[in-house]
Amino acid sequence: MSEMALPTTDKRTKLRIANREFRQELGMLMPALVLLAIFLVVPFLLSFWFSLTNERLVPRPVPASFIGLQNFQRVLSDPSFWNSLWNVIRFTLMVLPIQCGFALLTAVLINQKLPFRNLFRSLLFLPAISSMVIVCVIWSTLYQFPTGPLNSLLQGLTFGLAGPVDWLGDSAWSMPALVLLSAWQAYGFQMIVYLAGLQNISPELYDAAKIDGANAWQRFWHITMPGLKQTHVFVILITTIQAFKLFTQVNILTQGGPDGRTDTVVHYMIHSGFVEQKVGYASAVSIILFVIVLAVSLVQRRLMRDAS
Amino acid sequence: MLKSGFLGKRLLIVAALAAATAATLPAEAKTKITMMHQGTADWVQTYKQVAAEFEAANPDYEVELIYAPHDSYNEKLGAAITAKQLPDIIELDAPFLANYAWSKYVVPISPYIDPAILADMTASNVAQGTYPIDNKLYAIGLADSSIVLYGNRKYLEQIGARIPTGVDDAWTREELEAVMAKLAKVDGVKWPLDLFRGYGIKSEWVTYAFSTVLQSMGCDLIDRKTWKATGTLDSEPCVKATKMLQDWAKAGMVVPQSAGTNQFYAAGNPAALAMGGHWFYAEAQKTMGDNIVVMPLPKFGDKAVSPNGTWIWAITSAAKNPEAAGKFLSYFLASKTLRDQARSQSAYPGLKSFAASSPLYAPGGAMAVAFDQADKTAVARPPHPAYPTITVAFMEAMDTIFNGGDPKKALNKAARKIDEEIEDNAGYPPFGTK
Repeated sequence: MSEMALPTTDKRTKLRIANREFRQELGMLMPALVLLAIFLVVPFLLSFWFSLTNERLVPRPVPASFIGLQNFQRVLSDPSFWNSLWNVIRFTLMVLPIQCGFALLTAVLINQKLPFRNLFRSLLFLPAISSMVIVCVIWSTLYQFPTGPLNSLLQGLTFGLAGPVDWLGDSAWSMPALVLLSAWQAYGFQMIVYLAGLQNISPELYDAAKIDGANAWQRFWHITMPGLKQTHVFVILITTIQAFKLFTQVNILTQGGPDGRTDTVVHYMIHSGFVEQKVGYASAVSIILFVIVLAVSLVQRRLMRDAS
Repeated sequence: MLKSGFLGKRLLIVAALAAATAATLPAEAKTKITMMHQGTADWVQTYKQVAAEFEAANPDYEVELIYAPHDSYNEKLGAAITAKQLPDIIELDAPFLANYAWSKYVVPISPYIDPAILADMTASNVAQGTYPIDNKLYAIGLADSSIVLYGNRKYLEQIGARIPTGVDDAWTREELEAVMAKLAKVDGVKWPLDLFRGYGIKSEWVTYAFSTVLQSMGCDLIDRKTWKATGTLDSEPCVKATKMLQDWAKAGMVVPQSAGTNQFYAAGNPAALAMGGHWFYAEAQKTMGDNIVVMPLPKFGDKAVSPNGTWIWAITSAAKNPEAAGKFLSYFLASKTLRDQARSQSAYPGLKSFAASSPLYAPGGAMAVAFDQADKTAVARPPHPAYPTITVAFMEAMDTIFNGGDPKKALNKAARKIDEEIEDNAGYPPFGTK
């Protein structure tokens, strides 16, 4: 009997301990959960509700009312919305290879046993820790038309044959100009992630390959790239989601111009919500953006999982 | 037990602190006035100083200034209203007045302001602060605004251009275009005209400056009787007016947006003419001195039109003590400190007594022409609660047009956007019924 009873009490004590631990953990999680609920979950649910009403930023004598899916219908039939979505896709397609490619390249570089390795690591990471706003202001000077440094450089190198180019004001150049500066500001984060991924690859694999006579390119292609598979998935997903949320650069440098060529979905949303004061309409845009980003992420994940 | 004891001690300390803070508060609270404003650093400093002077003169009052940056001011104000944190006094851009008055966030201001100051207002100042539905004054300013045509004296003399002396002999469109064509060939001139596209495509400047061109050529942003934009904003005169601006930009006659707003006075004076706000005078005069000619805005079409309206002050419906707010505003507008700062920025007088002490705008002064325009040619932007959408729609159209888009299509799109907004609000009654 006693032999039987002992394990039961033991189990009960274990259960009690587990229960207490759970309560302790919950207690410690609470502050974070409450904050998340207040600042993320509730606003998110609210925007669902707002998107079905004609809610205004500034409350009016006429109260807001339920209007069904009219906001969604209007958003989806507004050419400016499709234009902003197309711009974001263009931006993503351009920034993704440049930013991730550069991040991988620099990560491989600073992963070598070079002298002053730590100095190079810090220098390459510098843009990522500077504020995007400040980066934009600095780059706006570089891009200045017609006498900015970039234009002087271009004219100097081509002996005055090319340029000056109105980088931010020309409808062909404004988006590439934003891509370049965005990739430069943000690649540091992806570089660190790649660096971590690289350090997870066992050095023995490289040693073995060297003995087998593989050259640097073959080692990169057959050891480094497969070894980074999981890192790629993460980096590409994060970069895509960030790219879809493009806003700061546009707001500071081009305000969506020229002629809407750099307008983005988030910029369009903020504009309709805060400047035109149509909060209901802007909420509908945010819901649509959420669905699009979610869909793109899921498809990407599926594709990359299949590939691996 | 130990834990709860520790927590209890903490609570005790907090309670003790709270009690101590409460004890340091004076027994009778001062009357507090809150005021929300925008402005550059020097203006913010001036407001602080005026508030301190007011507090020194009226020890029973306390003024709290709330700063919001210019570029997102209307958004910040909207957020304050939503959060039910509307201050007693707000600064607002004149064309947005109708929106706030219609929503009943501002109250008629005349009962609270010193009658001497009310009598001192210029006609244009009264117009910018008046809500057309009840014809009551809702806001008041020390200043008003206008746009003139600045010219580089050296360049103009070089091509022998006729220099207008007053509103009545302003350049016509043909004369302006002939001058621009000649200026384009002058050494050192990169662009004959600066339209200040450098302020940005989403700047109120766009509507403020270019709506006058439309009005001069015989149309408007919206019909001011029926409050419908379709048929007005996309009418033939408006298409012609915006096509003219587009052609100038296409021909390289106009300073492009990315070149900034200083090309008129930058080294070498790359821009020969500048259609700029009155505030630009102080900026340009610093480097150009006597080389600036101030001319009236050209008469693009049949009648001469100039803009008006600036940032003015209103008392909100949230003010618990509007008399106190009015008392401070009256002090504020009469303050020498404020007027000295305004004068140093070549502010455009909205009070007659301020005009009298602003030699720049007095007869014979460099900006006399600008002040003359206020009486003869000023047209306010449409005083309608849908103005936030009207201006945004027009800005988008102008961005398209300046970048080579079809003017007719762009204006039609803007007009439909405006009409849709008005329909969504059931016509903003009582607008459209009167």
